[in-house]
Amino acid sequence: MYDDDDFDDGFDDAALARGMRFGLWRELFAYAKPYRRELWLLAAFAVITALIEVSLPLITRSLIDTVAERGSDTNLVGYGLVYVACVLVLAASVGSFIWAGGKLRTHMSHDIRRDGFENLQRLSFSFYDHRPAGWLMARMTSDCERLTNILVWGLLDLVWGSVLMLGIAIAMFAMNPKLAALAFTVLPVLAWISMKFQKRILASARAVRQTNSRITANYNEAIMGVLTSKAFVRERANQRDFGGLTSTMYTASVRNKVLAAIYVPLVLTLASLAMGLTLAVGGIDLLGGLITAGTLIAFMTYARHFFEPVEQMGHWFAEMQMAQASAERVISLIKAEPEVQDSETVRETMLAHRDSNDPALALDGGKTAIQEIELRNVSFAYNSGRQVLRQINLSARKGDVIAIVGPTGGGKSTLVNLICRFYEPTSGEVLIDGIDYRLRSLHWLQSNLGMVLQAAHIFSGTVRENIRYGRLDATDAEVEEAARLAGADFIFSMEDGFDTQVGEGGGRLSAGQKQLVSFARAILADPEILVMDEATSSVDTETEQRVQNALVHVLRGRISFVIAHRLSTIRNATRIILVRDGQIVEQGTHAELMALRGRYFELYRQQSLQETTIDGNWQDAPAQ
Amino acid sequence: MNLKNNSLWHITEGQRLRYSMAILAMAVTSLLMFSAPLIARYAIDVAVAQDLAEATPWLMPLLHVSGYESIAAYLWLSALAAVVLTGISGYFMYWRGRWAAIASEDIVRRAREALFWRLHHLEAGFYDRADTGDLIQRCSSDVETLRVFLSSDVVEIGRAVMLLLTLIPILFWMDVRLAWASLVLMPVLIAFAYLFFQQVKRVFQATDEAEGEMTAVLQENLTGIRVVRAFARQEFEIEKFGARNANFRDHNNRLIRLMGVYWSISESLSLLQIGIVLLVGAWFIIEGSITVGTLFAFLTCINMVLWPVRQLGRVLTDTGKAVVALGRINEVLSEPEESQEAMPDVERARGDLQLKGVGFAYQTGQPVLNDFDLHVPAGETLAIIGPPGAGKSTLIRLLLRLYRPQEGSIELDGKDIATLNRQWLRAQFGVVLQDPFLYSRSIADNVRVGEPGADHGALELACQDAAIHESIVAMPEGYHAMVGERGVTLSGGQRQRLALARALLKDPPVLILDDSLSAVDTGTEQQILSALKSRKGRQTTLIIAHRLTSVMHADRILVMEQGRIAQLGTHQSLLAEDGPYRRLCEIQGALDREIEQDIETTR
Repeated sequence: MYDDDDFDDGFDDAALARGMRFGLWRELFAYAKPYRRELWLLAAFAVITALIEVSLPLITRSLIDTVAERGSDTNLVGYGLVYVACVLVLAASVGSFIWAGGKLRTHMSHDIRRDGFENLQRLSFSFYDHRPAGWLMARMTSDCERLTNILVWGLLDLVWGSVLMLGIAIAMFAMNPKLAALAFTVLPVLAWISMKFQKRILASARAVRQTNSRITANYNEAIMGVLTSKAFVRERANQRDFGGLTSTMYTASVRNKVLAAIYVPLVLTLASLAMGLTLAVGGIDLLGGLITAGTLIAFMTYARHFFEPVEQMGHWFAEMQMAQASAERVISLIKAEPEVQDSETVRETMLAHRDSNDPALALDGGKTAIQEIELRNVSFAYNSGRQVLRQINLSARKGDVIAIVGPTGGGKSTLVNLICRFYEPTSGEVLIDGIDYRLRSLHWLQSNLGMVLQAAHIFSGTVRENIRYGRLDATDAEVEEAARLAGADFIFSMEDGFDTQVGEGGGRLSAGQKQLVSFARAILADPEILVMDEATSSVDTETEQRVQNALVHVLRGRISFVIAHRLSTIRNATRIILVRDGQIVEQGTHAELMALRGRYFELYRQQSLQETTIDGNWQDAPAQ
Repeated sequence: MNLKNNSLWHITEGQRLRYSMAILAMAVTSLLMFSAPLIARYAIDVAVAQDLAEATPWLMPLLHVSGYESIAAYLWLSALAAVVLTGISGYFMYWRGRWAAIASEDIVRRAREALFWRLHHLEAGFYDRADTGDLIQRCSSDVETLRVFLSSDVVEIGRAVMLLLTLIPILFWMDVRLAWASLVLMPVLIAFAYLFFQQVKRVFQATDEAEGEMTAVLQENLTGIRVVRAFARQEFEIEKFGARNANFRDHNNRLIRLMGVYWSISESLSLLQIGIVLLVGAWFIIEGSITVGTLFAFLTCINMVLWPVRQLGRVLTDTGKAVVALGRINEVLSEPEESQEAMPDVERARGDLQLKGVGFAYQTGQPVLNDFDLHVPAGETLAIIGPPGAGKSTLIRLLLRLYRPQEGSIELDGKDIATLNRQWLRAQFGVVLQDPFLYSRSIADNVRVGEPGADHGALELACQDAAIHESIVAMPEGYHAMVGERGVTLSGGQRQRLALARALLKDPPVLILDDSLSAVDTGTEQQILSALKSRKGRQTTLIIAHRLTSVMHADRILVMEQGRIAQLGTHQSLLAEDGPYRRLCEIQGALDREIEQDIETTR
């Protein structure tokens, strides 16, 4: 779902899949530290499991030899008891390492996600600018699971496999060094084949996953765009494109399966080669009385068993290499430093003031309330070097409504983002009550902000929860009052009222209703600074009227910045600034700007014509 | 492809031969696979007894041929035979894998394509009822479930069954009593696995749900990050996510713990089975009824089938999921398709539209169009206005034969459109919707949707007429810029103009603008309208609009109200009569004066 094959994020998968970057893994492995107990248990039980697996063929050997030697004097019950005891210990230890590993894996994965999420909450918008939500989702979900799987189960197989192989090797060399050496000749070949194939198999599985997500995207497009496709008779062309995709999928999937179909028989044949060698050479030794039948059988059993860990380790090694790009991405997410954050000095003053209870003082010791905000020679350029704002000068006092108008891409949103300190100016300064806001705490400023956006963002949950997002300790009565002020009367007539579930993304509310809920949220927050990105989306005329009326309440008693698209709504603004190409080209009241006969005047005349649609007048027209 | 039958058997049609070959290859594989321990059995017995009389009669002729008739030579021959036979078995295993992969992937490919085809050919009414998310799920995760089933699960089941089918006779041939002892726990293993996975299905589901909740919170946070920051709700969000994150962790942990229980029980059952063979075998050796070699063969063979048998229980549980998934896919595939009529022999219509007594309702009892008569001669520009819900957009949908009128008929160039091939009919129209859909391709490719073969000159011309050319070339990648999440974000007006360019490039006999300039500013709109005017006569044009300025220059204006024609005529004739149009113009005039006044007062 959240694959990123089409998105160039600067991480080179192919380059990162070469060689082994242990530093990377060590960094991730630090997440196992709090769970040292589980880690030790995991390792201990892996060792126990391996040791029992080594000893079971030895029991068989001893039994067979005893039977051959003593016949009916053999203590079968005794052997039975020892065997059952071993099996029970083995079963318990398998269960235990899964328990320990499970806890370790789920907790590590939880902790990585927690840290990632916490950092995402700190990171500046510039971080989000280059990364689609889907990309971030993939890091936080599938990547986390994949990496902790490797770390925990890979580690388990490493410990288990090494002990098993070592144990088998010791047992074999102790029984008969010549036979052991013979069986071991196959080992390097197998290890090499496993590495090669596992990597190819994993790579082809990745290709399958990526194609699959593209297929899903195509279905999505087919469904969402069905009217357009029908109207433009795109059925055949779309089917043809899709056919190309399913063919790719077919080829990739078959390739994945065929690779496995080559690998498994190869391994089996190699194992039979080891077993064959043991059989022939061991059989001849048996003839000569050098070894017993029990030893020969134990050897042949070992020859089969000790390929398993090699295969497993080959798999994990390949998986580790393939996952290095994921590891790099996840670590980059956790380690990324926000571009905008409290300076050292601010953090120190915040520490010094942490016991202060004066409500008039903010947590950094400065005043809570905001009287005036001033931009002095503010310029801003993105990291890419693109200059967005040049030499902006602007000031606003409590009670002011500053309307910002201008063409798309002129810098309106950036200006507002600077005021909110989502970005900081590249040069110049933003003063709040005369103090550069970089000398104050970020949290103080942003907790005094309120924001109403063009596309109102609604969280899933109830209407009440959404409004209360503005002020978490608000009472139900306050929530309802805010809704009333916002003109969101529709809530009262809903069946479940304020407890109505709005659905994912507020899907059960109309665009206008969402807007009103977000107004209520802002009113409840009662922020010192309010930023509004005025809606252009076509809401019905009645709602439109409501939204306009609500605005009066929303804007009252604070410093408001309104990015206006409909000029008729801002005639009463304290000041209107026209931003174009990153500069303020005109500013003043509506009357002043109209009298200027400049760009604003032109814009206004054109828009007034545009806004008078038939829709708005229809109700009146036939009635006259 | 016909997937109407709900059975898993039915969809294997066309690939059954390949599946059969895969099964045959699987049988050969299993047989040859067991030959290695059987050869070893004789070899061990020969070595223990130091007597070639214990050797298998099958290898003796080969030994004779080789000329070395010693025990040592027999042992080497056995080793060689075991390796060669395993190699051959591996070869068949390869073919089994290959054939099974081709068969299953081909079935799935056909299922995918059938779904895709169906999505494009379902009646438009289907989409009014359908839940998009659910539909996508059927196409993606249900198909994936089916794919895993066909390509892995079927193979797993086949492997386990084949191994058991070949093994059981071999075991009974070697020793009947020990064979019984070897199989005693097998049914318990299968039953235990099956019952266990049936039981934990709910835990799996709960874990998936917990993960879904966590993902949902994450997604909402990331898409709403501006709101989170604006209200400084980071702490709140961290807590909210933390709760979901911990919940998922605990569910997942619980699941893994259950799996721990499963594996330890399953492991001990398997090892006990081997233990039984070992001890009973030892007893039989003491009795003298079997040899050491036979015991070895038993132990090795049982070891080889235990793993697939343990998988069987889990895989059988998954079969249930595959059947459900197939059922859901079939539901989509059995929805009625649009009918297909023969292509008319004319390539291009003239564009003469005639509606006769058309009546239509989406739901019975709520008519949207009523006894609607209208004639639009070829080449005319007709503007349509009316309040929301008057039936303007429905009219367009009927013209495109997305819906069928319940009463009356619609004719294009005098032919009832119900008799015309839909694709041909739609090719005669160029439609621009209010909220146009753009494909996630480059801008050029999006415009070319109208006319796939168009050269770049024609493309630019269409974009110029739609007043979007300059915006496009201003983008860093120009016409090659990608549209969508990973490309440029277009404003509503830009999207509308791009959709218009798409329709203009098509140069259709009938051009329809369904409120498609609503997000375009007035100046640009006038520019577009005059470009359209210069193309006049090339096509019949229907413009649904919301501004008087955009309709007043049309040849005729149609005023719709409640599914009927309220007024029809030229701007002048409608102004002359008392009716909604004149009143609208008066209000508009009043508003214009108001604006003028506003401008005056600020002079």
